[in-house]
Amino acid sequence: MSWFWNFYDFILSLFWSSEMDITLLGLQNAGKTSLLRVLGGGEFTSDSIPTIGFSMKRVRKGRVNIKCWDLGGQPRFRSMWERYCKGVNAILFIVDSADPATLQIARMEFEALISKPSLEGIPVLVLGNKNDLADAYDVDSVIDIMNLKAVDDREVSCYSISAKERTNVDAVLSWLVSKAS
Amino acid sequence: MSYKKNEDLDSGPGGAVMDKMTVFQDCIAGFNSSPIQPRKCRVLLTKLTYLLSTGDTFARDESTRLFFSITKLFQHKDIALRQMVYLVIKELATSADDVIMVTSSIMKDTTVGSDVVYRPNAIRTLARIIDASTIQAIERLIKTAIVDKHPIVSSAALISSYHLLPVSRDVVRRWANETQDTVLAQKAFPQAAYGGAAGGGLGIGPAGPASSFMTQYHALGLLYQLRSHDRMALIKMIQQLANAGSAMKSPAAVVMLIRFVARAIDEDRNMRRPLYTLLEGWLKHKSDMVNFEAAKTILEMRDSTDTEVSPAINVLQLFLSSPRFVSRFSAIRILNRFAMIRPHNVNVCNIDIEALINDPNRSIATYAITTLLKTGNEASVDRLMKQITGFMNDISDEFKIIVVDAIRSLCLKFPSKQASMLSFLSGVLRDEGGYEFKRAVVEAMFDLIKFVPDSKEDALSYLCEFIEDCEFTKLAVRILHLLGEEGPSTAHPTKYIRYIYNRVVLENAIVRAAAVTALSKFSLIDDASVQESVKVLLTRCLDDPDDEVRDRAAMALRLSATEKLIAKEYLAPESVPSLGALEQQLILYVTGGPDAASVAFDISSVPFISKDQADADQFRAKTMATLPILGASSIDSGSGAGSGGVSPSKTPANIGEDYAQKYASSLAKIPELQAFGALIRSSRPVPLTESETEYVITGIKHLYKEHLVLQFDVQNTLPDTVLDDVSVIANPSTADDGTEPFVEEFIIAIPRLTQESTGTIYVAFTRPSGEEHAYTGGIFSNTLRFTSKEIDPTTGEPEDEGYEDEYQVEDIEIGVADFLVPTYVGNFQHMWDQLSFETSETYSLAGVSSLSEACLSVIDSLSMQPLEGSETPLQNATHVLKLFARTLQGGKVVALVRMAYSAKTGVTLKISARAEDERVAHMVVGGIA
Repeated sequence: MSWFWNFYDFILSLFWSSEMDITLLGLQNAGKTSLLRVLGGGEFTSDSIPTIGFSMKRVRKGRVNIKCWDLGGQPRFRSMWERYCKGVNAILFIVDSADPATLQIARMEFEALISKPSLEGIPVLVLGNKNDLADAYDVDSVIDIMNLKAVDDREVSCYSISAKERTNVDAVLSWLVSKAS
Repeated sequence: MSYKKNEDLDSGPGGAVMDKMTVFQDCIAGFNSSPIQPRKCRVLLTKLTYLLSTGDTFARDESTRLFFSITKLFQHKDIALRQMVYLVIKELATSADDVIMVTSSIMKDTTVGSDVVYRPNAIRTLARIIDASTIQAIERLIKTAIVDKHPIVSSAALISSYHLLPVSRDVVRRWANETQDTVLAQKAFPQAAYGGAAGGGLGIGPAGPASSFMTQYHALGLLYQLRSHDRMALIKMIQQLANAGSAMKSPAAVVMLIRFVARAIDEDRNMRRPLYTLLEGWLKHKSDMVNFEAAKTILEMRDSTDTEVSPAINVLQLFLSSPRFVSRFSAIRILNRFAMIRPHNVNVCNIDIEALINDPNRSIATYAITTLLKTGNEASVDRLMKQITGFMNDISDEFKIIVVDAIRSLCLKFPSKQASMLSFLSGVLRDEGGYEFKRAVVEAMFDLIKFVPDSKEDALSYLCEFIEDCEFTKLAVRILHLLGEEGPSTAHPTKYIRYIYNRVVLENAIVRAAAVTALSKFSLIDDASVQESVKVLLTRCLDDPDDEVRDRAAMALRLSATEKLIAKEYLAPESVPSLGALEQQLILYVTGGPDAASVAFDISSVPFISKDQADADQFRAKTMATLPILGASSIDSGSGAGSGGVSPSKTPANIGEDYAQKYASSLAKIPELQAFGALIRSSRPVPLTESETEYVITGIKHLYKEHLVLQFDVQNTLPDTVLDDVSVIANPSTADDGTEPFVEEFIIAIPRLTQESTGTIYVAFTRPSGEEHAYTGGIFSNTLRFTSKEIDPTTGEPEDEGYEDEYQVEDIEIGVADFLVPTYVGNFQHMWDQLSFETSETYSLAGVSSLSEACLSVIDSLSMQPLEGSETPLQNATHVLKLFARTLQGGKVVALVRMAYSAKTGVTLKISARAEDERVAHMVVGGIA
């Protein structure tokens, strides 16, 4: 029946199509570009090259056209994140839940980001990626380490996902679509 | 880049008035809006490029904001928009921060199929934004693009690589193989695919770059850069490509190849013969462009022989009668340049060149005339002058200047024709013309006055007439200065006073001040009535509204009341400070900070030069300026010095340059040398070793009244050895009668010469005393002696024990050239008649292959000043060289060298010298080795 729903969505989208902007942030090697590829329906590859600057990709979900700004995670690009977050519908903050060493830095970058006045009120979805790996933290640990409970001025959600195994990827899409204005 | 803004242009594309800030605001708003409107954004970007290309600039933070808002446009797929985005990013790349942000986005665009129209744009932009730390990330991508089958993509990648060289030479160097393949890949434009107006294709019509093979040109340019450090690889590349024959499709690439050949010939004389054959082959290439470049290169080769030159001349001669303007122009232009140094070789074309005098294109006609002026003989000058006058009004200022320059050098060559040339010059001076043109004419007349004494009076009165109605303050001031210098010594000085005073009445303050100074010089004339009237005129100047004018007048009046000698010293000084040195000293003084400023500036530290000296220098500079090719080709070739022939450092420009000035101060600091008195003369530095040896030594000779000091500059090039007790053993030769004329007094050695440093050794001798030995020379054989100690790599200290070593270097000769100072004199014949003692000698120079080479070597070995342009032979069989110099004591000596050349025997010459002193004449005659 899925072809029918696809067709149904297509017909609807001709009349009620909407656009939204999201940004993908996170430290280098957290899996932003890979996740984006999977979100767009592509195959997972493990040998993607580091993003220099940003790259832009469109993802279509039902009647919603999502413009995804995938930003580089190396330290030299982090100061430029804010420029691409202004006025977006949602921010995806991706962490490598299997790499405890980087989680503390990720938390500092995250806190610095959400304290920016220009980004006030923008909903954030924190994703603990790579949960297919054996020693990955579960979702509650990620919430604790990232101190997400302390955020009270905006909507914050947290999922544990795996871009490689496509775990919870659809949930991410649904969350995004729900933020479309 | 800041262009003067034209008011009319402020309304940009579409006629809308464009204000920088409005455009800026519109852009920020337009690019950040959602959804993107591609058409509107394109218009905004167009406006932005317009502003940037007409000289508007944005502050750094504004540029950065613009840049980031433009990056938002990557979300839209519109092809035309994407192209505009790339154009603007390239413009902003230098002025905005963090442009590296777009790297990933651009990289995505460079990996699309080669038929996507914006792919080349993306590649070119990528090269502008990348930095050294990220260049590795794009390496593969550029490599793939270089070998892409599509010429436009390939060209874009090649040119980008060229721009990336300064960013990271090492990385780009790794692309050499791909580049090499591309040179010969002959990428044709894929015709069929792009015939239509396909939206996504590289929409260039059928008349596009189908057959240009421009990629070849780009690839060759890059390849040269990549190989430029390795001479052998370069030569290999040249030979391989030159023999590739028809594979070199692009004429532009061949032209570039010829330029590489020219450079290779210049750098390595051994390559000359094989490479010349290549050049000769290119003279028959089917493209005109290539023919011209080959001919030009052959003609610009240093000391080329007549046989080498003649095929090139023949090719150019054919082009002289070509129906195309551009071919005729190029040919005559190349011949014109060549005629300046070797007029006799161009003679064969004279008939064709004469036909060009009436060419409808004035530029061609101008070059034709000026070439003829150089190749022609004295008899044809008058006829040519008449023809020039006919079309002077039809040509632009730029060409008028070329004509005037040609006439000026002609005046110096044929002083007897000065009357007709002077009347021509005064005629054109009255014509309409801009500053540059007028300046050229005035300078030509200045030269006439200075170097052709017969023309002085006439030229001065023409100049007087000119300043009566001269709109250029600068020229008026210079002419007034000249009137002040030359006027008082003429037959009727009063004539000029009237002209000068007229300026005081009618002109602006700057000219008035100059006029007062000129006027004051007339007060030095020995004639009471003139002095009185000058005084009256100067007194009137005291009421001038400008204070500078009043000051000068007051000073002149005051001086004229004092004793004549004092007045002369101030008003018309015999010697002036060397202006270059003065400027340098003043800059040092001003930038020296408070310490330097606490003492007064010491004018005595600036060397003074006498008028005669200044004149000779100027004359040399003037005649040199007319030899552009020789000047241009003297690019660093110290390496060619040992390989025979005339090395460029021996051009006459260097003779007689005052080295004494340069060394006087450093020598005066050495207490032992102070006792010798004033330095009379220093020679130019002569290399005594090859430049690549372990110890590089240059020698300089300093002559004192009774002493001789040899200065050895020793450079230790070894990185791990120090030299202790470095000295030079200089052995003077014994004279014919068995005596040793030079006796060593002392030596100042270098106690320690550290690694890779330079030190100086002085060896002092007593010169043979007595009047009869004033010109005694000798040969010194020199040996460097030192103790060599290696440096211990662990401690960095030299070893205690070294070993003594000796090193033989070349000899130094004290000869004729050291006793003569090249001096300029206006009238050779007069000087010749004046001097009584004459002697002559005949020589045969077998190893010399042309008259011009013989001239150079004679001038160089005698250190005498060539007169009347005689250093450039006009015919290739016979020539007369006229020389003049003064001895160190001030005695005059003239020499007349008649030479004849034949291919079998080389150059035969007869030198006759006349001097006040018998010995000097003998010395000069015997001075040709």
